[in-house]
Amino acid sequence: MAAGSTYTPIATYTLGSNTTVTFSSIPQTYTDLVLVTETTGTTNGALDVRFNGDSGTNYSRTGLYGDGTTAESFRNTGLAYGLISAGAGATRSIAISHFMNYSNSTTYKTYLTRGGDASSGPGLSIYLWRNTAAITSIALTGDPIGSNIGSTSTLTLYGIAAA
Amino acid sequence: MTNIKRANTSGITKTGTAIADVPDAPTIGAVTDAGTGTSVTVAYTAAATGGTVTTFTATSTPGSLTGTGSSPITVSGLTTGTAYTFKVKGTNATATGPESAASSAITPATPTSYQSIATFAVGAGGSASINFTSIPQTFKHLQVRYIARNTSTGYVNGGATYMQFNGDTTVNYSFHDIRGEGTSTSAYGQPASGGNNVMYVNGSTGSGSSNTLIYGVAIVDILDYTNTNKNKTIRVIGGQDTNGAGYIDLDSGAWYSTSAVTSIQLTNGTFAENSHFALYGIKGA
Repeated sequence: MAAGSTYTPIATYTLGSNTTVTFSSIPQTYTDLVLVTETTGTTNGALDVRFNGDSGTNYSRTGLYGDGTTAESFRNTGLAYGLISAGAGATRSIAISHFMNYSNSTTYKTYLTRGGDASSGPGLSIYLWRNTAAITSIALTGDPIGSNIGSTSTLTLYGIAAA
Repeated sequence: MTNIKRANTSGITKTGTAIADVPDAPTIGAVTDAGTGTSVTVAYTAAATGGTVTTFTATSTPGSLTGTGSSPITVSGLTTGTAYTFKVKGTNATATGPESAASSAITPATPTSYQSIATFAVGAGGSASINFTSIPQTFKHLQVRYIARNTSTGYVNGGATYMQFNGDTTVNYSFHDIRGEGTSTSAYGQPASGGNNVMYVNGSTGSGSSNTLIYGVAIVDILDYTNTNKNKTIRVIGGQDTNGAGYIDLDSGAWYSTSAVTSIQLTNGTFAENSHFALYGIKGA
């Protein structure tokens, strides 16, 4: 079994002002993508995610979170965007999202996120983007869709290549 | 000694004795960083003409470091951060032939701590099991990442994969999970005492989902897998979403064995075409 180095940084945004972010022209040479976000300043405590500019109701998720007293689960169907946890207002939040086999053009895309912040607790979510297209761009805004992500937020996209 | 085609490079042909032809120059191919920081692989295409080659040799410039074998040849002992080119030549009983043209330059990069070990992409007809064998013992931790669809039943949409180590099929596995199923949460466990003969890795999409475009995912961390003085601990994050059903799952598990993990087997029904499994190693300091 040969081994090869991977987990390669593709692009990083460190926001100097409140703005939105798009990772575009994503190389199609990796197996998985990993998005690491440390964000603040969103209205509803989430990042809204769209792939390839798709604004159709093709996104859904199932989530699990704990708030210090209870564990709860939730589900959203027929969304026009995916959701990743982010810090609301001044609260800071981290999330690590894994986009598996993102370059295949045969299956729908399933991805998962582990994230949380000190004020609302940890969470796990599994997502489905009902589209067989390879992911070539990832656009992120605050929630509600189109709003800004707070300045000083950092967002890094990595590529992982299988042997 | 099969043919007399021409004089060798000395220009002398021995009358009455068949002299094997001298190899012609191969065509150089791609040179690839092997990810170790000190080795690369050199691809070539053997010449269609000339004598039959018994040994192909790749030689570096600078350093004259060599490797032999079939394409791609591994050349080791390189210096991280130094640019190299490579030429390949063939040798047989008669002589060593001329070298190929030089390859493009390559600079072995400092290896990262996260390295790809092996991958399985399930093709047409599916696969009943995925086996990672001969796992290198040079990392600190392992990570298995997969997307999968199989014929499993019994969980949300089916949705389970079984993991075993080193071919151990006895009741040496335990696991506990917390899961969210959209409207409710639950927890499940299989203790070590009277435990299970497999570890459940929730994350595939099973027979309960009729949409064959939907695949579940899982990321499995196997910690300190080479140690031989304690049992092995495993963490799993996985799930599937089908736009109206599905689950997200966080598992912890254990394999009650002090053996180093040298192989991993994943089963449960048949994995569908386009399922994809990859094994990675994470270095320790």
